[in-house]
Amino acid sequence: MAKQELNQHSDHIKELNNQRPKQPFFFLKPTSSILLPGDGPVLRPKGVNMHFEIELGLVMGKTVRNLDPDDTQGALDAIDSYLLAIDMTARNVQDEAKRKGLPWSIAKGFDTFLPISNSIPKSRIADPHNVEIWLSVNGQVKQQDSTELMLFRIPRQLSDISRVMTLEKGDLVLTGTPKGVGPVTTGDVMTAGMRVDGKDVEEANMKVEVEDRGGAYEFAET
Amino acid sequence: MASSPALTAIRSNCRKVICIGRNYADHVKELNNQRPKQPFFFLKPPSSILLPGEGPVLRPNGVNMHFEIELGLVIGKQVKDLNTEDDSEILQYIDSYLLSIDMTARNVQNEAKKKGLPWSIAKGFDTFLPVSGPVSKEVLADPHNVELYLKVNGEVKQEDSTELMLFRIPRQLSDISKVMTLEKGDIVLTGTPKGVGTVQTGEVMECGLRIGGKEVEEAKMRVEVKDKGGNYEFAET
Repeated sequence: MAKQELNQHSDHIKELNNQRPKQPFFFLKPTSSILLPGDGPVLRPKGVNMHFEIELGLVMGKTVRNLDPDDTQGALDAIDSYLLAIDMTARNVQDEAKRKGLPWSIAKGFDTFLPISNSIPKSRIADPHNVEIWLSVNGQVKQQDSTELMLFRIPRQLSDISRVMTLEKGDLVLTGTPKGVGPVTTGDVMTAGMRVDGKDVEEANMKVEVEDRGGAYEFAET
Repeated sequence: MASSPALTAIRSNCRKVICIGRNYADHVKELNNQRPKQPFFFLKPPSSILLPGEGPVLRPNGVNMHFEIELGLVIGKQVKDLNTEDDSEILQYIDSYLLSIDMTARNVQNEAKKKGLPWSIAKGFDTFLPVSGPVSKEVLADPHNVELYLKVNGEVKQEDSTELMLFRIPRQLSDISKVMTLEKGDIVLTGTPKGVGTVQTGEVMECGLRIGGKEVEEAKMRVEVKDKGGNYEFAET
């Protein structure tokens, strides 16, 4: 199950005119939204204003339940590996959901709305709170920030999630996006990557094209 | 009541649980909700599934926990971009049926609705999806003509026919599959009728399914309710 933590970096909160949360909250993306490298483009559904959001992802290596938020070592031990992910979001669908108090599942859950990189071995990232993630559109940098800007750090995220729902081996946790989110349309190419101490993490490199989905969905009022 | 191998397999093979909201008119009214122009839906994590014999539903601290009885479908083959209103056409996609209770943290959900936050926590706590069955397609020939009931401590709280669904199953599967591909093993919950309400520690929910007035034995469910304890306590987001 792909689980997602909306651990918003402070400037990302501001750019979307959101309220800064007192505690973490999170939402689910279905595993059917995962797009593997080489599996084709991200598909923009009709009438959707589609945004990118680059995020550091954790692949869980074991069952986690009721983790103590101060158990930093326990949190790190529970991580099997990392990946880079783009939390594609139907922004207008999400805006309607927020306005009407509806779930976010459609806005976040379309097929292809979770492109991920190859698996990044744990040994490549000594400190997940000190990693630079970036995303460009057509060669122009849009997002570029360090994960040290997270408002709620990983042990707190895993603690808050696991006191609600048990995290299981193989679950994916996305740890939030920094400022700079924006729309992409058909023909755009997103590239993304990760740097540790200024050096590229090869496994994290991503290149994803954007195309219109076609098909039967068309955004309409709920 | 122990879990069958079939139900255990259903849980293992389940990659998502997708649930339609506000799909019975009097349920929409009882919660003072707006009737939607089109179906909407939300996800429950498979980690919330509770099989018979696995213990009680656990109420987290500070949560006003509601029951919602629902007919569930187990998907038997991939559904993608389906576009049909034909009741017979969708039977090929259904492997079997489940009875399920969509347990909901109502106050957490109310806060989410007020603040435009996701529903995932309100719907996603461990044990918040007790299920029973499976019921075969031979036994349950028409999913739009089944009576669901739920009692708390012997008192009937919900009891209605699935013919009251506002959006029928072909429409549900079509609308879901235009957004996200439904995969073999996925579970779809088809909405709850009127009569939802609170349960507390020490209470017992009993529910079931009737076809032509006759109880379907394999769907009968009995679930106790206990306080969860643990570290979660409802607080403002």
